[in-house]
Order: sequence, then structure tokens, then C-alpha cells
Amino acid sequence: MTLSMFDQFQSPSLYGLPLITLALTLPWVLYPALTGRWLNSRVLTLQGWFVNRFTQQLLLPLNVGGHKWAPLFASLMIFLITLNMVGLLPYTFTPTTQLSLNLGFAVPLWLATVTIGMRNQPTHALGHLLPEGTPTPLIPVLIIIETISLFIRPLALGVRLTANLTAGHLLILLIAKGAFVLLSPMPAVAVLTMFALLLLTLLEVAVAMIQAYVFVLLLSLYLQENV
Amino acid sequence: MLPRLVFISANALKGHGHFGAGLVQASRSLHTTSQSLAPVPPLPEKGGKVRHGIVPEELFQFLYPKSGVTGPYMLGTGLLVYMLSKEIYVINPETFAAAATGAVIIYGVKKFGPGVAAFADKLNEEKVAKAQEVKDLAMASLARAIEDEKKEQWRLEGRSMLFDAKRNNVAMLLETERRERRHTVTNEVKKRLDHQVALQNLHRRMEQEHMVNWVEENVIGSISPEQEKESIAKCIADLKALATATRAKATA
Repeated sequence: MTLSMFDQFQSPSLYGLPLITLALTLPWVLYPALTGRWLNSRVLTLQGWFVNRFTQQLLLPLNVGGHKWAPLFASLMIFLITLNMVGLLPYTFTPTTQLSLNLGFAVPLWLATVTIGMRNQPTHALGHLLPEGTPTPLIPVLIIIETISLFIRPLALGVRLTANLTAGHLLILLIAKGAFVLLSPMPAVAVLTMFALLLLTLLEVAVAMIQAYVFVLLLSLYLQENV
Repeated sequence: MLPRLVFISANALKGHGHFGAGLVQASRSLHTTSQSLAPVPPLPEKGGKVRHGIVPEELFQFLYPKSGVTGPYMLGTGLLVYMLSKEIYVINPETFAAAATGAVIIYGVKKFGPGVAAFADKLNEEKVAKAQEVKDLAMASLARAIEDEKKEQWRLEGRSMLFDAKRNNVAMLLETERRERRHTVTNEVKKRLDHQVALQNLHRRMEQEHMVNWVEENVIGSISPEQEKESIAKCIADLKALATATRAKATA
């Protein structure tokens, strides 16, 4: 029972072919491509509006050097949001529950921001290790703490996304299982459990969108510090 | 789904802006026919009608000729019951999760569907309105230019009348000036003549006075003192006689 709950997070494969590649290319298929038309269909108009607004909002605090990252951030955001939302459908596999994938996104991007900062403005980047206005005796300790926090960032980014989505899926599975098991002996309680499941699904939709946004937002913040 | 995938991916490679440009150039060596420049088919007016939140309307339209209005519902029920009874689909906890997710999706589509569609339409309409505004402004300014040009042409026609009026004006001014100057001349001449007349009058008066004075002087000088006494005595005697005559007349 306890082991079967985590079966949903096993990377699926069919005849030895990893199906996670199919799951990862699904978002690309779901969004219509830009046509050469001046007036587009509703979906394309909304898509264009969303990407424009999102990129504009995200790049507001960044200076011009950070604007090179705009396509990366926009595409990453749409990718993560689609993966999360599609994963809420029944019988789907959510690739973002895999820590390997999330760390694979977080570590290189974080490392890129740190390297850019160290290469272009090393003093300014190192200066982030000491917040303003610290009392003098605390300086050595604080530098060590800030360095640790700096190196924990990619782990935090990856694990945050993984943990949130895994926990959400697990909760959905548990409560659905509870409703399923309670249906024959105590139907009324099963109805209450279904109601809880409805609320949880709403929460999971919100969490799916928020976690993707937080991931990209934090990356943009790290970039802002270093560029 | 797969043909659509190919179609969409080809479109994505071909049509998209900055990302697609490099990909288009890379695959251009593989193109066999030239680019199709035919006019693109028009987009449908409104798209994406769904019934009950998730089933596209096209399915109902597709099944209507052969199985009428209840066709899709019969198909759905039949499929569901078949899969349940033959245990092709086993009810498991995931079913409940699917029910919850389906309920959330249908609720979302029914509640926010029209709003989102209206928003997308509004975005497009704003785009059209902006272009239309530019066009309207250009047309208005051109119409105004035509009006101004016509007015200028009409003004040109009236130019000769303007010149006549100006000529009359100038003539009137000249005439006024001439008359004024003539008046001045008349007045000046009159002044001179009056002066001469006054001079003559003055001469005559002075001569008269002088003559009168001379006569008076001579007369007064010619009167000797005895004559004066004589005349005074005579006057007194006359007066006395007159007095007695009057007194006599009064008493009588």
C-alpha cells in the first residue's frame, strides 16, 4: 500500500523507451504556433498577450543586461506551468515531480547567474555575501552563512518545485483513495471526502501555477543581483 | 493527433518570428516547392464552442446526420457502460481524482469561458480600432485638405473683385484728399481776403475818427471866451423864459 502510492512518480517507460520524453514534448504541441496573420484566433491572441505581459512584468526590475534572458524565462515559465497543469489530469505523469528534472533546470541556470556575476562584476557579486549594516563582530559568521545560503539556492529551487508537486499529487491520491474506500461502508463520509478532494484540486491548480512562477521569479532575482 | 503535431511543428518552424527564422533557414535546403503565396483562408468568426464544458460542439454536428440529437449522448453512455462492464476501465481512486479535476475544469470553462473569450475578442478589436483610427485620421485630414484646396480655388475666383474693391478704395481716398485740400485752399484765401477787408475798414474808421476829432478841436478852439459867456447868458435867459412860460402854463 505504502509503496504503491509512489508508483505514480516512477518514470514510465514502454518497451524500454522512456516515455518521459513524450511527456516533456507535450507542452510544445499544445500551444499553437504564430501564424503570419495580423489578427489571430482567440487562443493565439491570449497566448501572445500572456507572454507579453508576463515578460514585461518579470523584466521590469532587470537592467538591460538581463533582458537577454527574456526568451529563456518566458519559455521556462510556460513549460513549467503546462507540465504542472497537465499533470493534474488523471492518469498523467508529471515530469516536474522528478527531482532530477528540477535540479537539471535549477543548477545550470543558477550557476549561470553566479558565473555571470563573478565574471563581469566580481566585487559587486561578492558584496552580496555581506548585508548592509551588520555589526562588525558578526561579519565572519555572516559571510559563512551567506555563502552557505548561496550554495543552497539551486537545491532549494529544485527541491521546492519537486516537493510541492509531489506532495500535492500524493495528497490527491490519498484523499481519492479515502473516498474510494469509504464509498461502500460510509457513503456520506465519502461525499465529504469528495468535497475535500474538490477543494484540494482547486488548491493544486493554484499551487501548480504559483510554483512555476516562483521558480522563474527567483531565478530572475538571482540574475538581478548579478547582472 | 500526430498529423496535427506535424502540421503544427511545420507551422512553428515556418511562421514564427525570431526563433523560427534560424530554423527556417536551416531547413530551406530541404524545400522542394516554392512558398505558397495563396491568400490564407479566413479564420472562423467564433471558435471553440463546447457543450457541457468539455465536449466540443463539432462532435455533435458530426454525429447529427446519422444519429440525431441524442446520438452523442447514446455513444457516450454506451461507451462508458461497455468499458465499465467489461472491466476495460476499472474504477479506482484515480476515478475520484478524475471526477474532481473534471468538475473543476467544467466549472472553470462555464464560469470564465465567456469572460476570457470576450477579453480575447476585445484585444483583437482594440488592435483593429487602433489601425482604423489611423486610417480615419488620415482620411479626415485628407478630406480637410480637399476642402481647404476648394476654398483656395474659390478665393482665387474672387481675386478680381478684391482688386476692384481695392482700386475703388484708393480712388475714394484720393478724392477725399483732394477735396480736403481744396477746402483748405478756400479757407486760406478767404482768410487773406478777410484780412484785407478788415484792414480797409480799419483805415476808413481811423480816417473818420481823425476827421471828427479834428473838426471838434477846431470848433472848440474857434469858440472864444466872450462868445462862450454870451451863449451861456443866452441859455440862462432862454431857460428863465421857458421856466416862466411853463409856470404860466401850469397855473393856467
